[in-house]
Amino acid sequence: MAKRSVILVLPLLAAGTGLLAGSSMWMKAQEDTGDNSVIRKVVEMVQLNVAVTDKKGNYVTGLSPADFVIVEDRIPQKIATFEEGTGAPQNLEGPGQGNAGPQLIPRGAADLKSGSAEPVDQSNGSQTSPTSIYILFDTSNYMYRGRGFVFAQDAIAEFIRSIEGLNRIAFYSYSRDLSRQTPLTADRNQVLHGVRATVNGDDSALYNALLLTLKDAGEQKGRKAVVVFSNGPDNSSMVPPEDVGELAQSLGVPIYMVSTHEAKLDAVTAAVFARISANTGGEAYFAKDWKDQEHAFTSIRDDLAHLYLVSYYPQPNPNRGWRAITVKLAGEKAKQFHIRTRDGYRPLPEHLSMGAAVAPAGQ
Amino acid sequence: MNSPFLVSAFFLTTSLCICAAPTAQARRASPAQTDNATLKDNLVEKDNFALPQAAGSGAESAATAGTEVPIPGPLRSFLRMAGLSQKIAPEEVLPLLSRNIVVIGYPDFKSKADNPSEFLLLLRRYLAQARELQTLAGAEGVIRVPSCRDAQTLLGILGYRLRENCGPGTSVETSDADRAFLTIDSGFPLADFEDALRAGTPFTYAYPTTYVPVIYAASEWFPAAKGGKKEELVDLLLRDPATARLYWALSRIDGETRAALRQTPGLQKLAPFASVLDFYGSHLSIRAGRMIVPGGDAAEAAWKNLVGATPASPGEFVTRLLAKDEGWLAVYFDALSSVPQAQQAYFTKAGRLEHFYESFRGHDISPSPTRHAFRPDPGLILLMTRLEVQPDGEPHIPGNMQVWSEILRARHDSKISETWGKKTTHSNSPDQLVDAMFALSREGTFGGPLQMYLLFSEIDRARPPQARLTPETVRLLAAKFARFNDQYTMFSEFKKLDNASIARFLTAAQALDRIPDRILRADAMGIMQANVGLWQILARQGQIPEAKWNESWQQMLAPFSGIGSGAQLFDAGRTSLGELAKGAIGKTQISQDELIALLAGPIQGNAAGQQMRQELAGKIRAVLDDQRLVSLDTLFALQRGLNEMAEGKAVGENLLPLAGELREFEMPRPLFTTRERTEWASGLYNVRHTTSQMQTNLAKVIAANAPAEIAAARGQLAPFLRDTLVGLNYAYYEPPGAQMLHNNPLFVRSHDFSGQMTLKGDQAWQTPLLFGRGGTASGGAHLAGSLADLPYVLAQVEQDFIVPENGQSLIWEDLVPDLLTSAILPRWWAVTPTELHAVTLYQRTGEELLTAAGGNAKLRQTVMNILAARMVPQRSEEIESALRTGRAAEVVPRMLPSETFYLSAEFRRQFAANLPADQLADWGAAGKELQQLSREHSEEVSWTRLSQDFGVPHPALEQSYERKLLDVEPFPTFLGYSSRLLAECWDSNNLYWARLADELGYPAVTLNRLVPQLTRRMVEKIAASHPEDWTAVLRAMQETGEEFRQSKTTNPAGAPAPSGMPP
Repeated sequence: MAKRSVILVLPLLAAGTGLLAGSSMWMKAQEDTGDNSVIRKVVEMVQLNVAVTDKKGNYVTGLSPADFVIVEDRIPQKIATFEEGTGAPQNLEGPGQGNAGPQLIPRGAADLKSGSAEPVDQSNGSQTSPTSIYILFDTSNYMYRGRGFVFAQDAIAEFIRSIEGLNRIAFYSYSRDLSRQTPLTADRNQVLHGVRATVNGDDSALYNALLLTLKDAGEQKGRKAVVVFSNGPDNSSMVPPEDVGELAQSLGVPIYMVSTHEAKLDAVTAAVFARISANTGGEAYFAKDWKDQEHAFTSIRDDLAHLYLVSYYPQPNPNRGWRAITVKLAGEKAKQFHIRTRDGYRPLPEHLSMGAAVAPAGQ
Repeated sequence: MNSPFLVSAFFLTTSLCICAAPTAQARRASPAQTDNATLKDNLVEKDNFALPQAAGSGAESAATAGTEVPIPGPLRSFLRMAGLSQKIAPEEVLPLLSRNIVVIGYPDFKSKADNPSEFLLLLRRYLAQARELQTLAGAEGVIRVPSCRDAQTLLGILGYRLRENCGPGTSVETSDADRAFLTIDSGFPLADFEDALRAGTPFTYAYPTTYVPVIYAASEWFPAAKGGKKEELVDLLLRDPATARLYWALSRIDGETRAALRQTPGLQKLAPFASVLDFYGSHLSIRAGRMIVPGGDAAEAAWKNLVGATPASPGEFVTRLLAKDEGWLAVYFDALSSVPQAQQAYFTKAGRLEHFYESFRGHDISPSPTRHAFRPDPGLILLMTRLEVQPDGEPHIPGNMQVWSEILRARHDSKISETWGKKTTHSNSPDQLVDAMFALSREGTFGGPLQMYLLFSEIDRARPPQARLTPETVRLLAAKFARFNDQYTMFSEFKKLDNASIARFLTAAQALDRIPDRILRADAMGIMQANVGLWQILARQGQIPEAKWNESWQQMLAPFSGIGSGAQLFDAGRTSLGELAKGAIGKTQISQDELIALLAGPIQGNAAGQQMRQELAGKIRAVLDDQRLVSLDTLFALQRGLNEMAEGKAVGENLLPLAGELREFEMPRPLFTTRERTEWASGLYNVRHTTSQMQTNLAKVIAANAPAEIAAARGQLAPFLRDTLVGLNYAYYEPPGAQMLHNNPLFVRSHDFSGQMTLKGDQAWQTPLLFGRGGTASGGAHLAGSLADLPYVLAQVEQDFIVPENGQSLIWEDLVPDLLTSAILPRWWAVTPTELHAVTLYQRTGEELLTAAGGNAKLRQTVMNILAARMVPQRSEEIESALRTGRAAEVVPRMLPSETFYLSAEFRRQFAANLPADQLADWGAAGKELQQLSREHSEEVSWTRLSQDFGVPHPALEQSYERKLLDVEPFPTFLGYSSRLLAECWDSNNLYWARLADELGYPAVTLNRLVPQLTRRMVEKIAASHPEDWTAVLRAMQETGEEFRQSKTTNPAGAPAPSGMPP
């Protein structure tokens, strides 16, 4: 490992609207103090998408920052920003803003169609973080079998229509190469045109394409997710799924894999789909066929509507390798509810940073 | 696997089609007036498409004017289904369709009309669907659906149905998957249709019949087809592969020749020879009723003897040529036609033509040269192109005849070789050795005497007589050829390395081969090759002066003899690196930062150069960081500390923390269990080297401080040293847009130097092969083999991360790595402003000459004589025709920068001292400036200097990474070489980027950044129909240039990375 300076220099991984608010306050605080003792460092903000469910799988809402306990490499962390579902972000630098208490939302109860492209919280006028959804469609020859290509395309169109109103969507396709069909946009119609413009390709390089998609997603502020429509397998990628999974975790981007039973015919594909999605805080779905994806769509919509977006600036940590993250609920809630989020990250080198924020000494 | 667009098959094409075709334009349908946006889009697209694309085709244009055939539906949809670029000219549609039918229409490339590929089946089904839609569109050629309630018929044809009743919430879903697939794949505007259904508005879509030009008259093609059934030509081509192949073959023959062949022998008599005509027909040229033969008038008699017909009867000549020896004589004719006239003169002189052919033909003419999907091994054309004819008219023989006789006789696995070995035993005639090489060129083997002869000739080329290969060195190189031949290209590039240096390399390499411990041997190979790679970089950049090459080279290699332990290897690696550094900076101690600074380029005296050097150093550091490699400084400090401990000194306080750095690397978090890896990765997951490193615990050894263990501990550093040195090589050659180097931390560590993983056995010293691609559980792709050809191989790995701008673009597996290599390997530190401007002036002068040639027949003849040496007759004829008919302005943008550059260079060579007044009264503005510049800076403006600085490497063709501008005709693709030879013929990029930089005011050093960026952007823009589609490559280059100009216009300050350029 190259010898580095004693002070760890880390980039900001992602900054949502709320995150930017937080970091800008810190910067301002430093300027105000004019304290020469302040050591200016670039510090990574870690952003977690946290799903809280009960034993039946119902989403638990209404939790407050105080309900969450975050530990990184056994070092307790202080929550910097907190945001629930499509609600407005809370900047925890100011006075605490308690929630009304936990509520249960059955799966499938999300009503995202009612939202505008960038909903505004009327209570304080602040905008909620835009969610950026990257859809990645497998157009390789594997999808040509049984004409899965056209049925999957119908399914994607349906998915896009079903999340109408929820912020921004990008539509990419891939076979051996990635194709950025429709850049990130709030215009659903534009995305649908992109979907219908795809053509069948040849080899399949899913993990190459996923890597590039994650890098695009990582440049966006706020909540983001990648939704892959593929039956696998991959026959052409250079990069392995392990590296892609680590990048997704380091960028805080959950991966959702939408697939059919056909994917399970290839054991390695089925295993990777399940594991890479679970590790990143997403999920994998294997429906009977492409026409039967309602469960997957509902689940993804619910996730995007009810995830808590929690962020923190890591406390001093000498570990330059993989950092394990544990998120728990405080008190009795820990026994009642289940938490799903990524389980760690690897700090990215500075040249791979997506941005930077300045933090005060001691951080 | 069903493969509707098995694009990989596209990459391996079979013939040459560089140029655009005749001027006849697609007849416009008369679309009804409509207010529908889709229709407007269609019309706009069609207008763009119909812009003039090519020069005229001369005599044949008149013969076929107005001859067009219909294709149902919009051309855009047809092109998508046929796997053709949207940017081709109408004249190219039927030829390229025919090509795809031939190349990918039948799974086994045989003309079995009853066994079409999925690609062809889909295309046929599409035409059926298009005809249904055409019927629906009616006479006006417009599909109209007044409302959602009227949509059933169209939906049925398209293979869709409504999901819900008509209204704002409706959408469509697949009802017939086969039809729906065609609808989507052909680009029918389904989303627009859905919009109209939801909105309750009328849907209107122009669905015209497209008309495209046809060679000859459509009716003439039917007698040549089996069955003779009257149908549309497009259906005939889709049904009859033999007709498609004949069509494709004739489309690449110039217009005058095509017109002559139409008369005699006629289509029907040519049909049996379609395959020969396809592979070897593009140089057939009939002018004024006479066959043009290689060697010119003086060789006509010899050709008459060989062919059995006189060139004065071209129809008969062509028929017999194609038929003779199952096509082998046509192979000979075609290869000879493609080499420069000076080279032709040797092969056609005084009886050589016949006896060389006799040797080439041999006793057995099977298999035929058209048996496979691709032309056979390119040995013949390489021999004819690269054979060095000395000033005395004799071919150059590396070593001497005796050693070649030994080499030939030693090949017991080749009857041809043994036979010729005996024949040459007592011969001193170089011609006889060339005879042998002609015979061997039919063998199609790698690693035989022909390949030796070609490679040793390249090593010897341009060496002064006293420095040429001695017979002993030739004997040595030949004896070790099978194992080390890929390493020999170093000696082609660095010609100042003498016979002793070559021998020293082989001695060192063989010493490593004798190391019994497999792991130690692999580490040793990695370290030595990495140092050799770094030496090459510093020598190429001029940091190791030529005068010191031999000394530096030999001292760098010396430490690698007699390695028996890891400790010895580490010491040898460090000593070797020190010698390398000494050659560059005069001292053996060098830090990692100093080494990176050296690799980043020579010291610069101005701010732009300094900034660029820092930038390149930063890029190297980024790769080392992302690969998480241990710093050389750490390794050397540990070595020093361990040595001190071994001498009984106290443990340095930094030693333990430094030892801790060795353990910082972590494997990526596993997704698979060990058992799953075993089951799913089939031995491809090989991380022994990395695992061994992770188990290294030097801190424990230091803490224990046991003398015996301390003495051996340096050996544990050797694998780390290997990785860092290899990583520096990888980092230096990082292709633009690389992802593996930054996201797969095992990539460098996984380089397998053991040679055990390759399919052909122990290939440890050969060009590395790629393993693990597409192996989900394999841990990612990695290289196995040596570091030879590393720039190209890395480009192969990283090319798939380039995102094509056009949805259906073909990123060529062989072309793109060459383009990237040509962008990365050259560095621009030594380029002067004079040189940069001279490159611009050469190109402009070439353009001025072309323009002037439009109005002067004599000048036109001179210009075409010069250009004809670099192009097939068809393209030459088109350019000449356009110039003659006052269309020079159309020609200039379609000329390759390498062509205009060559034109002015050759014209100046012939006439600079004395302009021919009857051709050119005076130079144009650029020509005058070039003349003036040349007078003031003759060396900087010389072809030799500019060729070195703006040329590209040709590791397949010239077997060297030396940069050079070639003056040869583009190669077609061949069996085995695929399209790499072809790709190396493209040397226009750097000339074009240099001109761009000059015209926009960028200093030459910024080319270090701009060339990789612009090349990557260009690759994104390539929308080609087949690998030899130079028109598409030129278009992508020009579009990139225009984009860059625009960004400069909007950003006059000249930001380091202008918008539009990738980072």
